[in-house]
Formats: sequence, structure tokens, C-alpha cells
Amino acid sequence: MMSAKQNQRTPNRTHPHRADGLSLIRFEFLKIVRKRSTLTIMAVSLLLTAFLFGLPVIQYQIYDQNGVMKGTKGIAYDREQYADLSVPLTEEYITKTIREVQGLFEDPANVGYDGNERFLIGDAYWNEIAPRENFLNLIARTYAAPNESRGYNSFPDLDASDGADFYQAVQAKREAILNESGRALSNEQKAYWSGMAGKIDTPLQYGYYEGWEVIISSFGLLLFAVLAICIVIAPVFSGEYQAGTDAVILSAKYGRTKLITAKLAASLLFGTIAFAFHMVTACAIPLAAFGVSGWNLPMQIANTAIPYPLTFLQGTMRNIGILYLVLLGMIGLTLFLSSRMKSPYLVLIVLVPVLFIPMLLSPNGTAGAYNLMLFLLPYQAVMPEFGKYISYQAGGLVFDAFSARAILYAVFTAVMLLLARGGFQRHETAG
Amino acid sequence: MELQLQDLSRQYGTNYAVSHVNATLVPGVYGLLGANGAGKTTLMRMISGVLKPTAGSIRFNGKTIGELGERYYTHLGYMPQDFGFYPDFTAREFMLYMAAVKGLDKKRAEARTENLLQMVNLQDVADKKIKSFSGGMKQRLGIAQAELNSPAILILDEPTAGLDPKERVRFRNLISDFAKEKIVILSTHIVSDVSYIADIILLMKNGSFLLQEPMAAVTDSMKGKVWELLVDERDADRYSRKFSVVNLHHEGDRVRLRILDEARPAEEAEAAEPSLEDLFLYHFGENDYDPHENPQPDPSSTDRKKRKNHVPINSSKKSRGGKR
Repeated sequence: MMSAKQNQRTPNRTHPHRADGLSLIRFEFLKIVRKRSTLTIMAVSLLLTAFLFGLPVIQYQIYDQNGVMKGTKGIAYDREQYADLSVPLTEEYITKTIREVQGLFEDPANVGYDGNERFLIGDAYWNEIAPRENFLNLIARTYAAPNESRGYNSFPDLDASDGADFYQAVQAKREAILNESGRALSNEQKAYWSGMAGKIDTPLQYGYYEGWEVIISSFGLLLFAVLAICIVIAPVFSGEYQAGTDAVILSAKYGRTKLITAKLAASLLFGTIAFAFHMVTACAIPLAAFGVSGWNLPMQIANTAIPYPLTFLQGTMRNIGILYLVLLGMIGLTLFLSSRMKSPYLVLIVLVPVLFIPMLLSPNGTAGAYNLMLFLLPYQAVMPEFGKYISYQAGGLVFDAFSARAILYAVFTAVMLLLARGGFQRHETAG
Repeated sequence: MELQLQDLSRQYGTNYAVSHVNATLVPGVYGLLGANGAGKTTLMRMISGVLKPTAGSIRFNGKTIGELGERYYTHLGYMPQDFGFYPDFTAREFMLYMAAVKGLDKKRAEARTENLLQMVNLQDVADKKIKSFSGGMKQRLGIAQAELNSPAILILDEPTAGLDPKERVRFRNLISDFAKEKIVILSTHIVSDVSYIADIILLMKNGSFLLQEPMAAVTDSMKGKVWELLVDERDADRYSRKFSVVNLHHEGDRVRLRILDEARPAEEAEAAEPSLEDLFLYHFGENDYDPHENPQPDPSSTDRKKRKNHVPINSSKKSRGGKR
């Protein structure tokens, strides 16, 4: 129909099987880390993490007869007190301890009264109670009803004349918790928890574990790190739309195939590395200040009702695993939104509420759809809640909170990544 | 080698951005001309496979894009209009990245990158970050990436927009170098760009082709419609109101008018050799013509802005369409 130079040449094309997928991942990773904003966001996030996890060290204080000791000095003093407490919690030791405290209460000179309850005063308190008050309270809470708060001053009410029957009390407390009507646990769930608790080795070994407790109680603070990582990831697809580079890469051979895989892989790789840096920061500061001791101690020495047969290190690692899966889920969600939205800012407008609205919601128990759902949402999901007996049942299968969260976020991540892939594959540049 | 556009349309709601376009393209340089909003970019994006037609098909050597899949893109090089770069990449990194996306193996990617950076005269700044590049350097990098896979189809959407005259000339030469044995589709609303390098003119208006003609023949259609006339200044205004005056040239106290009209506007008017610009203005009128994009104004002519102040051009006389 029109005159033009005619040529039937078959063009010499590329080698489809030799393209290096790894180099695509490398370039996509470079795209992420080369941005000045990435370095700024990560630096701010790491500093914030260091500050938040350093706060318990800075704010740490402990009292003796001479007054308050703060920071590292207080920590050193506290660790000294635990030297005598690194013992197996045998029935004999518990019985002896209870009787010692009961003996102190028998001398009226040691006892104070505030109108509500009796407590030890003077040397009896400072020499015999204060150095091991956490330990004594642990014993006291074991004999208390669920949700009842008790301290060492409840010891005079205990009958230890024929022995403390400590592990029997531990068992009884667990059963009482499982049978609380408010928990609405099924028989399968009760059996699940009882079976799990049955694997806990006794006697429990006591010792100093403060560093691990700080880490475990501060996991929620790492949500800021999750947000920071997602902010960096947000432009992975939408940044291409915004910059107008989408047309170039989508018109290239691997634009809708290997490149998407590379983008997803590079995002996950960046997220993993950034996560590792944050976790090292978060753990290193408390462990450097409080020491790593306690890593191999059972978590029941913090709360005898905890049903998980884990040491502090195992418990921490398990929750780090969950936190990582939550992060992957949020990266997946970010990438999905990024593939569908024309600006990284729009991605964040959706993502920030998803991450932070659950922070404003408080559980009112451990049963019911609202609570069970809340414990799976990002903020609550990174709180380990070792002693809350949160479980989910599907048919005859029972999942504890960790398993449910792991399954949910693994599936959520996979679905989001697939949707993100589809979003970019189907993307059309506006005409 | 043949690229067929068969009844190609892209519809947004009830509006057609591209409407029932048919063409068979063989190797050569195609100058896609049209005013802003004529549908040039939409058409090019459909050919580039980044926008799906709502009707019709695109076939390369008899097979649709869908049938060819990834293979189609190995034949394609695309430089979109105003596309962004990765500012924190160096020119070399960007080229190697695009080579990887295009599926070139490492050895070939490196060789093509070095060769093309040299061709577009960016070899000295190959390791500098793109954010330090001028607009012209970015445009050259843009065409270099499009050429990485030695494509059989090279699509360049407004490649010279925003370039100064020197850069524009350099760019035109680059396109000519790359164009050998390829189907090159060059979109622009800068008429002079295509007049230098296009073999065939595709004139687009309201989403359809008004004209598909070889460059040599395209101005022939305007023969007998372009007139020049020397008049007194006081008569210039009268002619401008009555006819489509596309140029005024002051010669002492008289004015030479260039008029587009089917009939001789005055007895003393002489038939002039039509240009591509005449054709463009004949079909689109001055309202569609961006004077600031005119790269090589006649220095002896009064510029259009000035002329507009002098003698308003009657746009109603210039609006013509559907000449074919």
C-alpha cells in the first residue's frame, strides 16, 4: 500500500535462555538502596529502634536501703542479687523459701500494715525480700487464681506444712485458666494446651533473664521498623508509573515476567536485610546492657502459667520469626498496593492505617471473633502473648497464636505477591 | 518484515483515542504527524505492547502480539515521550539494566552498551549518575536503550521535544543511523523533524490516519493550494481575515503572504512549492501548531507571535479535515 524500503530480514535477536535473572535482582536491589531517601529512612528507623530498645536501659532503676540506683549501675546491682537465685526450683527449695518468708511474718517487728494488707518492713524486707522479690512474686502468683494479683505477702496464707506442692499448683493454675468460662476453649483446645504444657521440663531452672524480658516485651515497637521498610519498598512498582519508566520496561522482553520476579525478590531481599539490621540493633542493646544470661532458661520462670515449653532464646526467636512473617506480609501488601497505585504516597495512605489502627484497638479477652481477629492483626500479631492461651480451631485442628499467625502471614504474603505480580503484568500505560 | 495494524482502536468510554486504524508498515522511517491529542502516543503505546487495543490487532510478520508473546518484544525498541530515568543509576548501569530486562546475555549487553554509548556520544559520562545529565543527554540515552536489542521495530515518541536546535539535529542524525533496515515510527508535532528523515508520512487527526503517503508525494497533494502574494500592509489584514495565511514576510512597506486555499486568492497570487508545514497547517490549522516547537523559523519572517499581534489569522478558514 505504501512505498518504503523493503526488507525481509529476520532480525538477529537476543538469547532468551541466557538472560541473567540474578543480574535483574541485583539491579532492582540497587534501585532500592541507591536512593538517598532509602538511606535516610533506614538511618532514622535504626536510630529510633536503638532509642526505643535503649530506653529500658536508660530508665532502669532499682532500690536498696540507700536509695535508688539507675541505669547500668542498677543493672549490675540487680544481676549480683540473682547470683544466689540461679537454682533449680525444686519442691524442697520452694517449700524452704515459703517457710522462710512465713517465718519473717511471724515477727511483728518485721510487719507493716497499710490498712489493706500486711507486708514486710525494715531489714526483713531489704535483706530477705527485695533481692528476690520477682522470684517470690512468681511463686505467689502460681498459687493465686487466674487474673488475681498476689505478692510475697500472701505467703502466710499458704499451707506449706506438708510441702509446697509447687508443680501441682502450677498444673492447677493452668487447668483453672483453661476452664475459665470467658476463654470459651473447646475440649480440643484444652487438650492441645495441656499436651503442650506437659512437655515442660521440671524442676524449672531459675536465673537472671532481664535482657530477654526487655526484648520480648518490646516487640510491638518494631512496627515502626516494619513501616520504614514498607516506605522504602512502596515505589517499587508505583515509582515506575510515577517516573514514566513503566512504558520502557513493559515494552522489553522480560518486563512482564522475569523483571517482576526480580522486583519482588529484590524487595524481599531488602526487607530481610533491613529486618536483620533492625533485629540486631533491637537485641544487641538490651543484651549488651543486661547480659545474655537467661537465654537457656525456661520462660516459665517469668510466669509459671506459660504453656510453651521454650527457653527465652527459643521464645524470642519464635516471635522474631513471626515478626519477620508479618514484615513479609506487609511487604507483600505494599507491593500489591504499589502495583495498583500510581504514586508511592497513595500506597502509604492505605498502609499506615493498616499497620497502626490495630494499635488503637485493645482486646477485651482472649475469646470471640473480635479478639481472635485482633490478635492476628499486624500490631497484636507481633506481641507474643506467651501466657494468654490464644488458640484457633479449624475442625479438629488447633493452632496456637504463633502457628495461626505464621500460617496466616505466610499465606497472606504469597497471595499479595501473586496479586502484585498480576497488577504489574496487567498494567497499561495511559495513552 | 511487516507490521500490520488491523482496524486498531482504543476506546475510553465513548471516546476513541485511536479509531479503526489500518496500515501495513515495512522497513522505513515513518513520520507520525499530528497535533497534541491526535492519538499518536496511544497508537505508539499499542504498537509497543504497553497498551491493549480495545479492538483490532497488531501483527508482526503475520502473527499477533498475543501469539508472539515475549518474542514480540525482542523485536521492539521503544522510547516513550518524557519517560523518566533512574536518577541514581549511571548511564552504563541504566544501559546494562535495560539490557537485562531485554534479555541480552551479559557479554552482548556489555558490548552493545559500550558501542551505543559511544554512538550517542555519552561514553565520557558513562559512569556519571543520570541525575547530572541535561535533557539532551537523557534523550540520547533514551534512544540508546531503545536500540540495545537491535530492534526490528523502533518506536520513538516525540524524541526531539524539548531539545535545542543543535541537539535536535544531532538526534535526527542518530535516528537516521539507527533506522537502517528497520521499521521506525517517529512521532512528533515538529514538522521539520520528520521532513528530514521520514520516508513516509502518517498524518493523524482525531485518532485516525488522514493521510499515509511517501514523503515525496505527500506535499504533492498540496500543489495548487499554496499561494504567495505581495500586498500592501493595509491589505494584509483583509487577506488574513479572508484566507488561511500561514506566513507573513515584511519586504519594505509591503508584506509577502503565504496563503493556503483551494483557489487562487488573487489574480496576482503565485503558486508556491508546498512544504510539509503547509500540509500540517492545512489539516490542523494554527491552533494545533505550536510555534515554540518550530525549530527553524525563517529568520526573515515575522515570528508567529508577532504576526498574531499584527494581523489576526482567521482560524475558521483553516479548519479542514478529511481530505482523503
